[in-house]
Amino acid sequence: MATFGTNLQIAARSLFQHRRRALFLGGAIGAVTALLVLLNGLSTGVHETMEHTATTLSSGHVNVGGFFKVSAGQSAPVVTDYLKVLDVVKRSVPEMDFSVQRGRGWAKLVSDSGSMQAGVSGIDIKDEPEFKSVLTIMSGNIEDLSQPGTILLFEDQLKKLEVKVGDAITVSAQTTRGVANTVDCRVVAIARDAGLMSKWNVFVPMETLRALYQLSPNTTGAIQIHLKPRDQPNATQIAGRLRTTLEQAGYRMMDADPRAFWMKFDTVNREQWTGQKLDVTTWEDELSFLTWTLNLLNVLKVLLLLILIAIVVTGIMNTMWIAIRERTREIGTLRAIGMQRRGILWMFLFESLLLGLGSATGGAIAGSLIAAALNGAHIAVPVSMQLFLMSDHLHLAVHPGAVVQAAVMLTLLTGLAALYPSFRAARLRPIEAMSHFG
Amino acid sequence: MKPISRPRSHSLLVRLVRMSLGLTVALPFAATLLAGHVAHAAKTKDEMVKMLKEVDVRQNSQGDWHSHIYMEQKEKDKVDVVYEGDVYRRSEDQKFVIVFTKPKASQGQGYLRIDQNLWFYDPAVGKWERRTERERIGGTNSRRSDFDESRLAIEYDPTDDGETKLGAYTAQAMTLKGKPGQDLAFPVVKIWVDKDTLNVLKRQEFALSGRLLRTSYYPKWKKAYSESKKADTWFPEEIRFYDEVEKANSTLILIKEVDFKPLPQNLFTKAWLESKSR
Repeated sequence: MATFGTNLQIAARSLFQHRRRALFLGGAIGAVTALLVLLNGLSTGVHETMEHTATTLSSGHVNVGGFFKVSAGQSAPVVTDYLKVLDVVKRSVPEMDFSVQRGRGWAKLVSDSGSMQAGVSGIDIKDEPEFKSVLTIMSGNIEDLSQPGTILLFEDQLKKLEVKVGDAITVSAQTTRGVANTVDCRVVAIARDAGLMSKWNVFVPMETLRALYQLSPNTTGAIQIHLKPRDQPNATQIAGRLRTTLEQAGYRMMDADPRAFWMKFDTVNREQWTGQKLDVTTWEDELSFLTWTLNLLNVLKVLLLLILIAIVVTGIMNTMWIAIRERTREIGTLRAIGMQRRGILWMFLFESLLLGLGSATGGAIAGSLIAAALNGAHIAVPVSMQLFLMSDHLHLAVHPGAVVQAAVMLTLLTGLAALYPSFRAARLRPIEAMSHFG
Repeated sequence: MKPISRPRSHSLLVRLVRMSLGLTVALPFAATLLAGHVAHAAKTKDEMVKMLKEVDVRQNSQGDWHSHIYMEQKEKDKVDVVYEGDVYRRSEDQKFVIVFTKPKASQGQGYLRIDQNLWFYDPAVGKWERRTERERIGGTNSRRSDFDESRLAIEYDPTDDGETKLGAYTAQAMTLKGKPGQDLAFPVVKIWVDKDTLNVLKRQEFALSGRLLRTSYYPKWKKAYSESKKADTWFPEEIRFYDEVEKANSTLILIKEVDFKPLPQNLFTKAWLESKSR
């Protein structure tokens, strides 16, 4: 233990003695650690925003949806007799926090000034308090969405429809049996855009959606299952288990397909079956058309970090080689007065580990502070970025675990980079080292 | 499907000619609004069904059909969309093909109806997609049924709305309600049939909610002798669709070069439609 303390002390003094070099190298390690913390914060922030927005606006953590086909070529995204399905769900998913049912549809919205195609979601606003909290209402009253024949739009949709609260919109679609139908809706609320999801999503009361598609009261679009926070990362496993349970309960299931329900119409319409088939998806499946941005961000993050780490590792190794060369006589003297090879090895390793720990910790703290400052500044992101970030401002989610992980990773990397030079230093023969000039 | 676009700007002369042509079509129908109902004895349901059957029979070739079509779609704030193509159909088994020849971007795209299913083929992706019978053909406001044989008496139950003046014509107006089990885009249709010729002059289609969705005018009818039918077959040379929900949208269909010669057996197949784009 005393030797350990001595080695540590020598390493610390050596770092102090060569402080200019240590500061330069430590600065580089700290900068990379800070960057790692910030990049992790960005990708976690996007992931969390995406999950929160998606699981509030259009999906549960796990969903039971499906298609009903009147004929082979005509499908509707509905679940018939959904209360029975919900019973099975309640029995087989103890991780469920709560569930909601939402109507799904695709319709043409026509105002006096314009028109657009949009996904129409049916919602029972009284049953979904969380929905109100995730949206920022720019005008109107979201509570009015409980009245039949009303509609909630997003700001971006006003560019095409040119309507305001109180104006009427005709929603035109085909019923599940393919018959043309319309409902007239009054705009009761206009919400601030919530990323790509709000580009083509509007909300109407479930009752209105049922009238449009001529659905019976026990038919819905999807059962959205919201999991308890600790079980949310296990959504994929829970979805797999639920799929098996529903199959065992006698329901016909669609093949697992990790895509949003509206991307499956072509596939479903090509298949010959008729009647009801259920489909179990996770929120990530329903957002598969968006998660590529997250994957791309992660790939870029890894690439950037690999390059930076390679530079830092090369820098550390070079610095260690120089240090060993400069201190060869010192090594020889230490060996001559009785220090073992292992002691030399630990001395240099401690030196780099101390440098790594100090600078990585400093970098991690700096990264966290920068992230907090950026979050506090509420920096607006360009509209094109909002589509993918699903938020109108920059949000970095920096969690303590991730910060510690970054600091530990960089410290270990610094130690690993110093391992070979330290080993070489330990193998120097005392007599040769003492007579070294250079 | 990529439509060709036409510039909106026209010379003053062209605009005047278009305006006068538009008035020629629109004025007789606008006069409808001013004309009152013509007094007549109410027809029984049997009489109405008989009349509806007659409307169908006059239009059906009872054999093979080929025609060249021109479609023009006008939408608010969009460039006009123009397609040309050919329609093939066979009465015997209700097979049906539309293949687009223009614009170049849409060349080879087409619809095939076999075994009660409507398929769409896009040579750019080489893929067949099953579509519903209510598919808007080429994204216009026309449907497959607008190009197919008239099946009004099979699909709808008529009720008498009385006689009315439609411009210079005396027309029998009737409301048609879809029969149960029929695969119909519009559950309720109103038609105005020329009392003298039994040609459809005007048609209005309604949503389940009762909202008027589309009004169609059939200003020009022509007849041609069908060998398979051993009689004349009537067809509209021109159809104008007006979107009643999006008021600024309209579609013009011109049907030309109709002939009733027997078509090859392999024409109503996926392979044939695919071969058109090779």
